[in-house]
Amino acid sequence: MKKYIIPVISFLLAASISGCQKWKGEHTDIYTYTPPAASPVSDKAPLSCSTSGSTVISVKGTMLSGKTYTVEAGCDLVINATDTLLMQPGVTLNMGLGSSLIALGTLVSNGSKDAPNWITVAGVTKNDAPGGLTAAADPAYAGKWKGIIGGPTCNLLVLRWTHVEFGGLTEGKATSTIAGSGTGNQYSILFANYKGNFIMEDSWLYGGVDDPIRISAGKIAIFRNTFEKNGVSGGDCLNAKGGTVGTMAYNMFMGTATNGQKASNKGQATGAPQTNIVMYNNTFVSGGYRQVQSGRGGCINFEEGAAGAYFNNVAINCRFGYRVVGSPIADVAHLTYGNNYQWADSLSVANQFYPTGYITQPQVTDIPSITTSAKYLPSTYTLGSIYDGSDVVQKNNPMFLNFPLPTTGHPLYQYSAIGSFNFRLLANSPLVGKGNTSIQPLITVPIDKIYGLSEATAPGTDLGAYQLNGSGNKH
Amino acid sequence: MDHKTGEALTGATVTLTQNGVNRAVAVNLNGSYSFKNVRTGAYQIHVNYIGYSPSQIYTGTITGADEIKIINVDLSDASQQMVEVQVKGEGNKESDRSVRGIEKNAPMVLNILSANTIQLLPDVTVANALQRVSGVTIQRSASGEGRYAIIRGMDQRYNSTLVNGIKIPSPDPQYRFVPMDIFPSEMLERLEVIKALTPSMEGDAIGGVMNLVMKSAPNHFVLSANVSGGFSTLFSKSRPFVDFTGSPNSKSPAAINGNSYQATYADFNNKALTSDKNMSTPFSSTAGLTIGDRFLNNKLGVIVSASYQNIYRGSDSKQLTPNAQPSAIPLPNSPQFSDAYDRTYSTQTQRVGIHNKIDYVINDKNKLSLYNLYIHQSEFESRYTADTLGLGLNSTGLSKQITLSNRSTLTQQNIYNSTLHGDHILGNEWRFNWDGVYSVSTRHMPDRTEFSYDANKTLNNSGAVTAEVDNNTALTHHWENNRDRDISGYANLIYTPKIAGKDVEFSTGGLYRHKIRDADYITYSLSGGKSTLFNNNFNDIPFAFNPVTDGIGSNNTDLQNNYHVTENDNSEYFQVKFDLFPKLQVLGGVRVENTDMSYATQSPETVTERSGTIKYTDVLPSVHLKYELTNNQTIRASYFAAISRPGFGEMVPYKISGEYYDQVGNPYLKHITADNYDLRYEFYPGGADQLLVGTFYKKIYNPIEYFVVRDGGPSSQVIKPQNDPGNATNYGFEALATKFFGIIGFSVNYTYTHSRITTNKLLYSNDATLGLQQTNVNETRPLQGQADHVGNASVLFKSAKLGLDMQLAFVYTGERLAQVSPYYNLDFYQHAYNQLDFSFEKTIVKRLSFYGKINNITNAASKIYLKFPHGSLDAKQQEFIGKQDIAAQTLVQSDYYKTLFLGGFRYKF
Repeated sequence: MKKYIIPVISFLLAASISGCQKWKGEHTDIYTYTPPAASPVSDKAPLSCSTSGSTVISVKGTMLSGKTYTVEAGCDLVINATDTLLMQPGVTLNMGLGSSLIALGTLVSNGSKDAPNWITVAGVTKNDAPGGLTAAADPAYAGKWKGIIGGPTCNLLVLRWTHVEFGGLTEGKATSTIAGSGTGNQYSILFANYKGNFIMEDSWLYGGVDDPIRISAGKIAIFRNTFEKNGVSGGDCLNAKGGTVGTMAYNMFMGTATNGQKASNKGQATGAPQTNIVMYNNTFVSGGYRQVQSGRGGCINFEEGAAGAYFNNVAINCRFGYRVVGSPIADVAHLTYGNNYQWADSLSVANQFYPTGYITQPQVTDIPSITTSAKYLPSTYTLGSIYDGSDVVQKNNPMFLNFPLPTTGHPLYQYSAIGSFNFRLLANSPLVGKGNTSIQPLITVPIDKIYGLSEATAPGTDLGAYQLNGSGNKH
Repeated sequence: MDHKTGEALTGATVTLTQNGVNRAVAVNLNGSYSFKNVRTGAYQIHVNYIGYSPSQIYTGTITGADEIKIINVDLSDASQQMVEVQVKGEGNKESDRSVRGIEKNAPMVLNILSANTIQLLPDVTVANALQRVSGVTIQRSASGEGRYAIIRGMDQRYNSTLVNGIKIPSPDPQYRFVPMDIFPSEMLERLEVIKALTPSMEGDAIGGVMNLVMKSAPNHFVLSANVSGGFSTLFSKSRPFVDFTGSPNSKSPAAINGNSYQATYADFNNKALTSDKNMSTPFSSTAGLTIGDRFLNNKLGVIVSASYQNIYRGSDSKQLTPNAQPSAIPLPNSPQFSDAYDRTYSTQTQRVGIHNKIDYVINDKNKLSLYNLYIHQSEFESRYTADTLGLGLNSTGLSKQITLSNRSTLTQQNIYNSTLHGDHILGNEWRFNWDGVYSVSTRHMPDRTEFSYDANKTLNNSGAVTAEVDNNTALTHHWENNRDRDISGYANLIYTPKIAGKDVEFSTGGLYRHKIRDADYITYSLSGGKSTLFNNNFNDIPFAFNPVTDGIGSNNTDLQNNYHVTENDNSEYFQVKFDLFPKLQVLGGVRVENTDMSYATQSPETVTERSGTIKYTDVLPSVHLKYELTNNQTIRASYFAAISRPGFGEMVPYKISGEYYDQVGNPYLKHITADNYDLRYEFYPGGADQLLVGTFYKKIYNPIEYFVVRDGGPSSQVIKPQNDPGNATNYGFEALATKFFGIIGFSVNYTYTHSRITTNKLLYSNDATLGLQQTNVNETRPLQGQADHVGNASVLFKSAKLGLDMQLAFVYTGERLAQVSPYYNLDFYQHAYNQLDFSFEKTIVKRLSFYGKINNITNAASKIYLKFPHGSLDAKQQEFIGKQDIAAQTLVQSDYYKTLFLGGFRYKF
């Protein structure tokens, strides 16, 4: 018996040793996804992904004036890294429920004043009367589709005279992997390439869930836009993180959940520049009320290493005033501000013109004047301390064309959309002629009628987004 | 004396019979015994010792009152041990003396704790016992329980765990290493830490192998039982233990109803939180039972051993939570803290271990054994967090007052292993043995429930509270499961011819392992609507998904964490052992390991890396030299090549949220390889005395370290394991000495380890022209977990006469790198840690003893520091950092465990 067993076992062991594939080898085979090549876009049939097995529809080419394009529900409309999608003036792009628009290449929505573009969801009825709908019932905050993403290879994303509406649904795994972003994001627009350009001018952003526009990094120019109903229970409307450089000017914000414009150097990538944003001539109305967290801001916010400037801005009944954060501290050595106006219907708003606990330095050019009375501000005032704002409640009425102040009939948080209100100034407004025009915009993007910023409006003589001479915000 | 090894058999019973009257004494530590005042006349002496055949009966006659008779007795090992097939030897004795013999005779570098040593240790788990081994440090869980072993500065990933020489799969969710606190220490016959690998051993242990040799069947009836109870002084009326009942939902809504099901709040049960109740002094208990015997003419041996532990532990923790990113102002990389948490942990750990070994001797040439092991651990961890300070940082106003966060986690881990082993003598010179192994390891975390409430109190000018605002009320329900199944076969053929008159041993063999791992992972995050203040009643809060589609299983953002892995490994070896010179033993050979792993996740088709296959082959040579200077002095030198396979959770592109950064997997990870050199001098002067002095050097290629990388967007950064392009080195020095003076013994060991690795770190600084900049800089640091200085010292008192054993044990672990930060100079260092434990066992009556264990007598704190001078933090941070004690550092975490008492009875038949 054993004379067989020994040779048999020896043979088996020898065979298994010699059978090992190769000595000291290594081989890996990891699945890689490549989006399909795009074909020129057509309006003949809905843009569909349901037959492809994945959620992706690759598109490129031109969307023609006057045409309506429809994206199937649940699909990701992808512009590949070397492709361009140009939307001519007067294009409507109806996004399906749960869909998204991802620019890994170039996206230009070139609407015009007479023929704006629409990137929206069909068949949704808006109700913009103050208090017309609760936030929970308002379709503006429902996140019908995911939003627009300028991914890490997107060099140019232009939205000109374009309505973007009802975005902000949670991205989820498939979308976030294609776009190289976070799965939990709920942004209507995300831009994430510090070498790329994000230009938004004369456009409208309506609705949103979290930060309606998140700039993870990028060269930006955000001029003369209107923002309404942004963020359901939190979210800064224009939230710029580490590596963002550019200008935000002549924007009109109504009822943002938290801040209208925020700058932070958080998450600055290696190789990316320090966040530096110049903000001027923006108007903020009823900001900060859907953010229930206390102290989160309601108009402008600079924090965590961000540099820049803010001048000539107007904040009406915002829950918190212009906020400079002390820890983690903004780059206060490279942050200048002044000529900023604030209005308060109530004492609680006036008590936060210089938000408690932060380090906003009151400026002599601020309105109301910081020497209004012995209480505003007291000689003993230190940055961030509690003061009594009773002497500046309802002072210096801004004399808007159609927005009577103090407000009546509705709590402040219900003023979340412009509707028939008009924030242009009457000629006798105390905001006229108070602007600082010596500051310079920070232009980092190309100037171009189509493939860039068409107009870099310089700082205006009147405070806020609308100038008596008709320049500024054109809506 | 042991017949084979000549070791003294302390505790053996020497019986003197004169005129029908028996007197008995126990053998002392140095092997001596004596009877005084012996009457003149005829006498008989015989010696019994557990596990040994009774000695022959020595007879004689005392003729005079002053006569001194010296009778030396040799005892033979009683079991029908056939051959030492495992290179590690298969001695089945539990004494220190017998393990000294194994250490001495082993062909490679190892350290062993015997069952007797373990029994007397203050520790009830294998993890805690491991810290008594030279060169081993342990990493603790939040409640202070040792969990993982770091061997000679090499953290757990570099070490492997064997049960009776067989590798077992891990219940760990990410890695291959096994949590060592899952094993009750009393089930062990001995604990081996093998620090140099021979070709016949699996090659994936660069640091070392922990081999748990479980109790094997005795040669005669054995019954032992123990029961104990105790408590931790941490708990009191004012600091109660928080007890909870696990959630009834063992499966997630998606697991029950399918991935497309849209869950609502009604699908969840908050019992894990709502069942919280306070216990002021919870009573810990342990029990153990071992029964063994031989049947059928000693051919069939059976042992069954069961262990039960129900231990209540906890810790009080203070923790500063750093922001993801430091500040560049005032200094580059100034840490920023967002919260100062006070956390209390209450942990109830229930362990059940059952093992059973049956061996059957077919004839004198063939023997079979079947081994079964089942281990279960349920850990109920309740974590209460309060952040009463509020740091007034960007997201918080100065008025912030309340952050509550309560989490109840039940973790159930199981290991089952069944091994059928055969030994066959095929001829005078040929032997063959084999193992068939089936193992399953599972880990379930059913419905981890966490509630957090963050509220602001608004203050008026005089500081009085005027209003409370709910910032955030969140509830998460989380399920996490993983299961590993291994089917393996081992075979070894040994040929021992005489060549040129010398004994030479050739052996060859191999193993094949088929491994399947499945993991699933889902989190449901509900929001509390922010309008309802929390008044200790969940039912009042309108929790919901926002948006409601977040309740759908397939919208789960963690689909990549649901994966299936198959791994087929095979390895083959050839080794030869011979005496080159009469005193120089050489063992050398080569091993080939083939790894073939493939994984598939549930990620959609658009996700790159959703599946993959990784194959590699390694050739691992080794040589071990052992030179016997004298009978009791040995010098060893060895070289071996080894590998470390990345964990499944590292290879699969999973994503989990970490404490400060999210972590992602990396399928492109290469496995780690290493060259290892050892040199050791050993001196065994006799008895249990021992002196070991050694040094080691390891060169580690492709070490896996955690780096911060961009995840798509520039501001989204995650931690990702990557192979460091630079190699790591690790060298050190080890010394161990044990010396007994009669009934008092001293044991000391000390290890110096020095490891270095250079990795790329982020530096956030203020540049005069460019402004704030983030740059990459190199930082050289020790390997994670490695302490430069590690030592143990214990004093033993063993008096067979008094029936009393006592041990005072001290462990010192020097400063070590606890967690690597992605930022330069912001690594977390654990301060040097000392722990003092005491244990004793006193025989009350024959066979029955009382024992006690006291852990952490000095209430040593575990403290973690950043090496950043706390005085340089910005002024706002200074207000919140709490009490500091080292000027050049910042204390960021301190954990106190208090003292744990355990006392009970042991009965041995």
